[in-house]
Amino acid sequence: MDETPVRWWLIFLVPLFVLLSFYFLYRTFPIAPAAADPAPLKAEWYTLTTARGEDLANKSMVGNCFICHAYWVPIPRSMENSKPRFAHANITLNHGKNDRCYNCHMISDRNKYVADDGTGIMPQLPELLCSRCHGLIYDDWLNGTHGKWTGMWNPVKKSDRRRYTCTQCHDPHNPAFKYSTLAPPPVWPDKYIRNTGEESNSDPYSNFLIGKEPKESF
Amino acid sequence: MADKHDSKISRRDFIAGSSIAFTTLAATGAALSPLLDARETPGIDEILQKHYRRLTTEDKKTIFARLEAEIDKKYSVKANISDPPPMDGVEFAYVLNIGRCIGCRKCVYACMEENNTSRDPQIQYIRVLKIKQGSIDLDSSSHDYPVSEAADPNYFYMPVQCQQCRNPPCIKVCPVKATWKEKDGVIVIDYNWCIGCRYCEAACPYHARRFNFAKPAIAPEEINPDMGYLSNRVRPMGVMEKCTFCLHRTRVGKYPACHDVCPTGARKFGNLRDPQSEVRKILEKERVYVLKQEVGTLPKFYYVFAK
Repeated sequence: MDETPVRWWLIFLVPLFVLLSFYFLYRTFPIAPAAADPAPLKAEWYTLTTARGEDLANKSMVGNCFICHAYWVPIPRSMENSKPRFAHANITLNHGKNDRCYNCHMISDRNKYVADDGTGIMPQLPELLCSRCHGLIYDDWLNGTHGKWTGMWNPVKKSDRRRYTCTQCHDPHNPAFKYSTLAPPPVWPDKYIRNTGEESNSDPYSNFLIGKEPKESF
Repeated sequence: MADKHDSKISRRDFIAGSSIAFTTLAATGAALSPLLDARETPGIDEILQKHYRRLTTEDKKTIFARLEAEIDKKYSVKANISDPPPMDGVEFAYVLNIGRCIGCRKCVYACMEENNTSRDPQIQYIRVLKIKQGSIDLDSSSHDYPVSEAADPNYFYMPVQCQQCRNPPCIKVCPVKATWKEKDGVIVIDYNWCIGCRYCEAACPYHARRFNFAKPAIAPEEINPDMGYLSNRVRPMGVMEKCTFCLHRTRVGKYPACHDVCPTGARKFGNLRDPQSEVRKILEKERVYVLKQEVGTLPKFYYVFAK
């Protein structure tokens, strides 16, 4: 019998291969979305400001104190006066035991600070005033242990290195740091992030095979 | 009938054969298609480039010009690649005052900005560990604490970055000598020589080395154009990178970026061989702690407990 064998399975196989070819073509040229630029870093995360840099609300008065105090503001009669009033009302005095204005400010010359012997300290050198009580930290500051320096580690001229003084970081009336600029934690792939107190290989199967593995620590 | 079948291909055979052939071609294409995604294809100059320490000054000039052109093409940024040599009589050291660090992580982002590290996937050289007061227990520390947990007086914060060891394990394991110690004590990497095997990452006890798993993604306006060949030039994909104490800054006399940005002055940097430098004075006076002293790496990154 001269009969052509009916290859009926081709009816399934050919469309299958055609579909497969479309699948592979799609794999070769996928429609990928264009990669967007990653989110930029905020400038406040790397600016050179000190801890006091942005905190200007509680700042002291600037200018010549004689404009008021020389002529028509009398010297206070009571040394008990520790509440900043009138033009200084925005100052919060929170300096521990040191709660008298005239511990630091000179009564007779308000532009100056007062030294131990009653003489004046120029306002450009507040570290001399602070060293009256914080002598150890003043020594550290002279050494470089305490305080912020910027510029060059190998200064040729004096202006190459900037040494910040006490009041550029601490508010003298409220000297504890106020930490305003805090940057976010890292965004790393999950495998880098180790949760506290969690063991790395703790499923029953690995416990059976390799025992209790110590947690990986860097 | 019979010779008709012998001489000609039947329609069925044609359809089946051609569909199989087409599918085979498409499958081959799909198998080879990752080559289309190769984001970094080295040029012939890059393949033939010698190790950094064998380069002459003229070689460096041509290589730097080539790299600057590549950066201009990729990011349209006019970069200036420099290669300041180590200074004589200088050994860099870092001192970090744990008593002052508040964990604000500004150093981390100043470092990213200065060193052109990848933003996505994010690469940061500095990890700030938040450790409970009482002992330095790294096991219970965390480096991914949220912003609300910074500046907590019950904890202290210990930034960890490359410790620039005097006895560095990462150099010993490098199979191609792509990382080495410079004369001023800084461990550097030749990014064009690195093969990306990540042995050094595994060898480092401080987890200070980072790998570029993807092509570094940085917005062009954020790229720092002041680049050093061994430090902060834009890295290719598949190489290691790490903190180099900002070589391009420190070798011309400036402080590293993380030092300048610290709002509390907890970070101190200087020349260890200069008796008048602040790091020497601090190390002579204060209580010094060396991280993982027992592994014998002799770091040049010191932690002190001071006011």
